[in-house]
Amino acid sequence: MSLEVDAHVRRGDFELDVQLSVKPGELLAVLGPNGAGKSTLLRVLAGLAPIDGGHITLDDTVLDAPDEGRFVPPERRPIGVVFQDYLLFDHLDARDNVAFGLRTTGLGRVEARRRAEELLAQVGLAEFARRRPKELSGGQAQRVALARALARQPRALLLDEPLAALDVGTRRRVRRDLRRHLDGFDGVRLLVTHDPLDVYALADRVAIVDGGRVVQSGTVAEITAHPRSRYVADLVGTNLVAGQIGPAGLVAASGAQLAVTADFSGPAFAVVRPQSITLSHHVPETSARNVFVGIVDDVDRLGERARIGIEIADASGGPLHLTAEITVRALDELALRAGDPVVATMKATDIEAYPA
Amino acid sequence: MTTDRSRRDRPRALPVPALLLASVAVAFFSLPLLGLLWRAPWSALRTVLGRPEVRTALRLSLQTSLLAALISVVFGVPLAWLLARVEFPGRSIVRALATLSMVLPPVVGGVALFASFGRRGLFGQYLDRWFGIRLPFTTAGVVVAQAFVAMPFLVLTVEAAIRQLDGRVEEAARTLGAGRWYTFSRVTLPSIRTALVAGAVLAWARALGEFGATITFAGNFPGRTQTLPLATYLALETDPDEAILIALLLIAVSFGVLVGLRDRWLGAAVPGRSKQVPS
Repeated sequence: MSLEVDAHVRRGDFELDVQLSVKPGELLAVLGPNGAGKSTLLRVLAGLAPIDGGHITLDDTVLDAPDEGRFVPPERRPIGVVFQDYLLFDHLDARDNVAFGLRTTGLGRVEARRRAEELLAQVGLAEFARRRPKELSGGQAQRVALARALARQPRALLLDEPLAALDVGTRRRVRRDLRRHLDGFDGVRLLVTHDPLDVYALADRVAIVDGGRVVQSGTVAEITAHPRSRYVADLVGTNLVAGQIGPAGLVAASGAQLAVTADFSGPAFAVVRPQSITLSHHVPETSARNVFVGIVDDVDRLGERARIGIEIADASGGPLHLTAEITVRALDELALRAGDPVVATMKATDIEAYPA
Repeated sequence: MTTDRSRRDRPRALPVPALLLASVAVAFFSLPLLGLLWRAPWSALRTVLGRPEVRTALRLSLQTSLLAALISVVFGVPLAWLLARVEFPGRSIVRALATLSMVLPPVVGGVALFASFGRRGLFGQYLDRWFGIRLPFTTAGVVVAQAFVAMPFLVLTVEAAIRQLDGRVEEAARTLGAGRWYTFSRVTLPSIRTALVAGAVLAWARALGEFGATITFAGNFPGRTQTLPLATYLALETDPDEAILIALLLIAVSFGVLVGLRDRWLGAAVPGRSKQVPS
């Protein structure tokens, strides 16, 4: 009982090659930059495009398997989709939008509308049943789209960037509401997004897709703690250094060396949390093993905190770029601006290294 | 006071050059009509319009043009959908073929129809021999000639409307259990109904005014193939006063329908005049 995906799709120069598995009751987020292949993945799962190789299976039903000549068209897949921009039918009111999927099963108009009203009530839109999509706010339209997708009682629910169409102000509230509504669905749930906040708030597991491939997957905590690519590290806002663990610590491909604590050797990643980097004007007298002189290349104030990008020309043998996070008060005391020299200090025990 | 403000305070300021040129256009369309009204022998109105052959021509015109419009809808809408939504080899050639009769001189269309569906024509001889169907010089021939020149108006209008439609909305319908036909009839058609009505009216108006292809292919037989435009032309040779009155009758019918539909239907979806994304 699950969604099993091994999808190969070729579209001109672009190639998608994704393996995924989602269990019932689980919410998998597929996270990746624009053009990573997320939309293509969602389309082949919904049956709006065929795969060129591999297979898609839901609860032991083969939905798409070109080798066996099997392809179930979208209208016969037990899959509901909440589209980006929601794609509600403008010529129907909210109730008839939700009833649409029930009518296709042959249910009569009266009964379909009664069920649709129930579903709208479940998402808190009972009094909006007769409104046209144009008369709904973004958050309301999203709930109508969700009710519409769930009306047919699908065994899997796909959500394509469900919050991207909303303005930042309403996004947080709608995200919280969405989480509550999604909790009520016990089938397979798959969410496609480029916003890590959606992942933190909604997902149980996450698969990072880049360049048409899954580059990393695991629980949100695992991925945050141990990113395995620059893309993921940037998303979670931490420093990632890839290299080889040797007697001198971690040696990056650039030649830069970091003192780390590691009980293994060979290819490795090291995470340097921005909060564990100390900044000063002069080289301090310290027990910290990593002390580098660099140049500030950008300063970004985020409320109480500030993130400072530092270009280190020679980190014991090679260049290294790090982002440090300090309080705004510390920033003001140091009076750092782009182009200023700065000393970055970090303890080896604060740097976590793990095999690549 | 800002410029924005002063602009808002003078909403009636009209662009003069556009106004002048547009006035010329309006005059160009309305002066011939005025001429007709001025020349019309109003005293003869009742006698001419009361004549059986005029009434017959009016009835025949309405019947054949409505039938031609219906045929255009039945066959033209699926063609428009194919042209707009399905990629197939030779699509641009099919589109050119479908609109060719719109730019052809109608007489040429009539000759072409005669060569293919005439009694000795490429297909006409088999229609006659196998099914006993003869199109030339029959009422059915009038409908064929009218549909031939009228259908492109419907195809172009509806195709433009389907193209402007967000195809993803139809995909959303598919994921809700709707097959291709259900999606087309419940999502696509309701979304393009304005364009469909506009296209059907344009096709009907073109069929109502059709002259060249009709007289070439179907001839000019009162009661059988003599429509109002043909009656007008025939009367012009014998009794110009009668021709003017029949012409006015034709104008009254067409104008009545166009005014009845107004901008609500026609303004929204004529090809090349899109509200949304220009294609």
